[in-house]
Amino acid sequence: MSDSEYAIELRHISKHFGSVVANKDINLTLRKGEILALLGENGSGKTTLMNMLSGIYKPDAGSIYIDGEKTLISSPEDALKAGIGMVHQHFKLINVFSAADNILIGSSKGSETHALLRKSRYSQVNQIIHDFGFELDSRKIVANMSVSEKQTLEIVKVLYYGAKTIILDEPTAVLTVQETRKLFEVLKKMKEQGHSIIIITHKLNEVMEISDRVAILRKGQYITTVNTSETTEKELTELMMGRKVDLEIERPIVEKTAPVLEIRNLSVKSDEGNIALDDVSFYLRGGEILGVAGIAGSGQKELCEAMAGLRKIERGVVLHKGENIAGASPEEIIAKGVTMSFVPEDRLGMGLAPSLSIADNVILKKYKQSKGFLLDKKRGAREAQEIIDKLEIVAPSVETPVRKLSGGNVQKVLLGREIAIDPNVIVTAYPVRGLDINSSYAVYDILNQQKKTGVGILFVGEDLDVMLALCDKIMVLCHGKLMGVVHASKASKEEIGLMMTGALNTVHQKRGKTAGIAKDSAIVEDEIIYQEEEVNV
Amino acid sequence: MSSSMDVITQFLFHLVVYSIPLLYGTCGEIVVERSGSLDLGVEGTMAIGAIFGYLAGCSANSLFVGVLVAYIAGTLVGEVFALFTVTFQANQNVTGLTITTFGVALYFFMGNAMGEKWPVLTKADRMVKALDTIDIPLLSDIPVVGKAFFSHNILVYIGVLMAILLWFYFEKTRAGMRVRAVGENPAAADSLGINVAAKKYQHIMLGSGIMGIGGLYMGLNLGGTFEGSNCWINGYGWIAIALVIFANWSTARAILGTFVFGFFRTLAVYYGTLAKTFPKVLGWLDNIPSQFFSALPFIVTLVILIMDSVRKNKHSNEPAAIGVNYYREDR
Amino acid sequence: MSQQEPLEVKGLRKQINRGKNSLAKQFHLVRKSRMKLWQNALYILIGVVVALAIGAAILTSLDISAIDYYSDMFTIGLVGNAYPERAIENFLVSYVPLLITSLALALSFKMRFWNIGGEGQFLIGALTSAVIAIKFPGLNPYLMLLLMSVVAMLCSGVTGLAIARLKTKYNTNETLATLMINYIALYVVTFFGETKADWNFFLRTDSERPKFTSFTKMPFVEIGDFHLQISVLVTLLIATGIWFYLRYTKQGYEISVIGDSRRTATYAGMNVKRITLRTMFTSAALIGLAGAFTASSSGCISTNITNNVGWTGIIVAWLSKLSIPGIVLSSFLITILQFGCRSASSLYPSIDSHFADLLQGLILFAVLAADFFANYKVVRIMSAGEKQEEQHEDKKEVES
Repeated sequence: MSDSEYAIELRHISKHFGSVVANKDINLTLRKGEILALLGENGSGKTTLMNMLSGIYKPDAGSIYIDGEKTLISSPEDALKAGIGMVHQHFKLINVFSAADNILIGSSKGSETHALLRKSRYSQVNQIIHDFGFELDSRKIVANMSVSEKQTLEIVKVLYYGAKTIILDEPTAVLTVQETRKLFEVLKKMKEQGHSIIIITHKLNEVMEISDRVAILRKGQYITTVNTSETTEKELTELMMGRKVDLEIERPIVEKTAPVLEIRNLSVKSDEGNIALDDVSFYLRGGEILGVAGIAGSGQKELCEAMAGLRKIERGVVLHKGENIAGASPEEIIAKGVTMSFVPEDRLGMGLAPSLSIADNVILKKYKQSKGFLLDKKRGAREAQEIIDKLEIVAPSVETPVRKLSGGNVQKVLLGREIAIDPNVIVTAYPVRGLDINSSYAVYDILNQQKKTGVGILFVGEDLDVMLALCDKIMVLCHGKLMGVVHASKASKEEIGLMMTGALNTVHQKRGKTAGIAKDSAIVEDEIIYQEEEVNV
Repeated sequence: MSSSMDVITQFLFHLVVYSIPLLYGTCGEIVVERSGSLDLGVEGTMAIGAIFGYLAGCSANSLFVGVLVAYIAGTLVGEVFALFTVTFQANQNVTGLTITTFGVALYFFMGNAMGEKWPVLTKADRMVKALDTIDIPLLSDIPVVGKAFFSHNILVYIGVLMAILLWFYFEKTRAGMRVRAVGENPAAADSLGINVAAKKYQHIMLGSGIMGIGGLYMGLNLGGTFEGSNCWINGYGWIAIALVIFANWSTARAILGTFVFGFFRTLAVYYGTLAKTFPKVLGWLDNIPSQFFSALPFIVTLVILIMDSVRKNKHSNEPAAIGVNYYREDR
Repeated sequence: MSQQEPLEVKGLRKQINRGKNSLAKQFHLVRKSRMKLWQNALYILIGVVVALAIGAAILTSLDISAIDYYSDMFTIGLVGNAYPERAIENFLVSYVPLLITSLALALSFKMRFWNIGGEGQFLIGALTSAVIAIKFPGLNPYLMLLLMSVVAMLCSGVTGLAIARLKTKYNTNETLATLMINYIALYVVTFFGETKADWNFFLRTDSERPKFTSFTKMPFVEIGDFHLQISVLVTLLIATGIWFYLRYTKQGYEISVIGDSRRTATYAGMNVKRITLRTMFTSAALIGLAGAFTASSSGCISTNITNNVGWTGIIVAWLSKLSIPGIVLSSFLITILQFGCRSASSLYPSIDSHFADLLQGLILFAVLAADFFANYKVVRIMSAGEKQEEQHEDKKEVES
């Protein structure tokens, strides 16, 4: 082995996508046997840079030194051979294969793999998993795995292929507090065994906990690397943002109204036909933000879709201002002033038509209001311009296709349109996913403004710190069941974490009051039965 | 009684004969689809394989040369498809349809340009002889079914053997599993060092080559006569694509699937004979117009397609990434 | 494990270093930013020229002068023709069905509904309209045309509707379903043309076999010697109408939203199923109309009445990237190709009309390839980095 101090050295790496500069002249070093946190806002080029190490992208310019030797990585295969393994944010697993096969289909490792698929491969892989100190059944099909199991499989995979340097892209984004802790223990153990680790994250507390050094990127450029022990969260934020920022999220106190939305005994099925929401009850008052917390896939998506009229409600009542809207069409629900902006992994997947112009996207929910056969194009252009001005959206014109906008601007177009409808209930899911801090705060501001005007907001989120600061109350889902509703000002992250994993259920904890049922509920008990029957018909 | 048994034997015999070209087409398409590409160019690929294989086979007076050229012609068409969809990132549906248009047009264009020079199959005596039936010892002596199933020409045996080998390849070998990985999730395969583009090229070309052989066999079945109005393939390439769904992407199941269609195809030829031989049971067949029997394979395909979608196959083996081009640097 | 790995990694690294200088590894594909319209047009033009050049090579290999052939083809038999008006009339008779079919297919393609059943829908339109023409021979020609069109559109439209219904309800593969209808329709037409039975609409008292010919022809407007068939005028109206429909109406807007993102459309309260049904009905009905027009303008039908417009229409729609003005133009050019090929076939007996299909295929291939070169470029890595590194080292020296 060469005696270079660095496992990896990047020199003058640049990468463009069309006219967008993702990385510009980046220099970065990774010492042997250290954990380096790569910190930066979304869009600062962290993932792009790491994708060049793992061979997904090729740099436009610059060179990579591995163990002191200049190495050209032009494919994932090269990266594997150079001892670099990456656990991507979106797992690269084959859903219909077993854990064993997901590992073994890679480049052949001499005598360890046979040309034919033998039964013995399962015990062989089980042994490998065990040797690395993990627990996972090698026969299990990926499609049936939990997020945490999939992540474990990815880590085993990169270790199996002899990775000395392991890159993890936002590994904690999908994990609970407890699972995160377990992961960090694994990382520390790998470090002790001599692996070098790069972990991409934007969670400062995690950076402080796990890393030896922190490298900071801003707007595609390398800023500096600092020793974790010599820095503070505040300093890191300033380095990341390039200026001093106030990280406080405002939580204005607003007088609450009677419940605008009451959900009682809601059950919904997932696409696969399993129960996705199981007998969930909660309510939302005007002038409050109710957070929805839970591990990814706990029924958040189904909840949003059910409320927007996109998913069949198997059982239960959705009471909007005293009127049951369960089973109503999306059109009718929009007309009542309930808006939903659901942002799945691909931001443009639902809510926006990416190839159409901003103007055409802005009138998406209103195009039927104008009379006659023709589309009111002028109105679309006018309202689009208003939204652009009001929310300071950066766009060449109202005719620009939405897919050409940056993530933050796309989100603003989406929210701007929803707000322009004058809603009384806003359902929003992951509205800051993929946004940088500035844009995120702009979104929080927009939501707070709406809250002040008496709108009820259901905020499906993933970052507990943000939710604890922004929301008035937080309801926690686990496997489609309600685990309880907590006051954000009184709750702790650990408590919510336990509820997310199902270890803690507080629904019936308070005497005389069940969580999720309002004291001043418009639902009379007899009526519920009646409403249910109606739904079933 | 023995004559009616003969009719049944003949019927079953032809059922196999008519099925096998389709088996080549379907297996070829399965090979392509398993690597994640949807090739709507089967009709054109078979037509090109057919005409080049036939012309080469006749002029060399060798079945081997014919099959080889049909295979090579098919792989070249496959290479074009791969070039456009894998390298050029063109829409797979459009590319496939263009190959069909182009291939069928080339078939007619060449046939017409040959005119009088079109070779007659019977003159290629050695090629015809190579297609003689080969009896499988013992099995072919079984009454009725023996001569129907175990006394066929070499291409039939090769076809069935190929289907079984391909099944083994995809289900039981690591190499085949790597191909399936590409069809399921090319990004994952790529991250493990599998060369996605190479795998796609290889299997698109292999599959297309198999389709080419199927085309040649189809032409040989029809006696090798060129008609200005009807292509030898005449829609069977499309049925091959539909059969892939029926076979649930398994080449072994494709054998069964093609026999179902071979049955209807044979019916179109034999319904008159059947009606005469079994007037009491099957006499009604004579009252049905012949065009109905010609349309029957297509009607059955449509019905099966509909039934399959109504049934909502939960255990579908359709490759997850089918029809989607892979570009590693996609953001 | 940590004892074995370094050795292995080292061995592998050697392999990489060996491959380091391989030229291919230093290049990679990059997506370009949007092209200007004229650049796109230029690439397409180059593509067409390449396709024609390959066609020329084929011609030369058959000992035919490509220049002679192409000049005969592109003048579509107008030069040296005593009756050029007839040639133009006949040209329009070919143009009308291709244009309508391409427009109709673009309508469904815009919604990402793969209607590959143009041939079958065309045949259904032609056959049912011919039934009207045969059954009511004494009708006023205008009324006849109207009746033929309505019946053809209804029958073909309902076929399309049925497939769309299967798609929306059971998610049946529409590509294969529409395809099967092509062949089934073909055999239905054959059946009517060959069956001697009293109930067969086409069985005439004055002939032995059913007759598919000599029914009332389409009325036309006389402009001097030139006979302009009504269908040409109607077709231009339809083209304008569809352009307006897609661009300015709510229904057109719905189609583009659905084509872009089905989920967004549902979320916006659009009834995606109903819109799919409606659009597919329109698409199939228009193709049926093309069939009726063709039957009416030629006064007869046959199994090859479609002249492959169901297939060619797909090529036209994609050549034009589903733009309506583009379709008007490219179907015009493709008709020149086809019509020219047919009129040239009298001069060149060994080149039949399939040469036009061959050229079309080549042109679409060339345009698909041109698309690639217009949207991607090949870039060499490292060179810039090496330069920068030198510069950087220079700087270091200055600093020290």
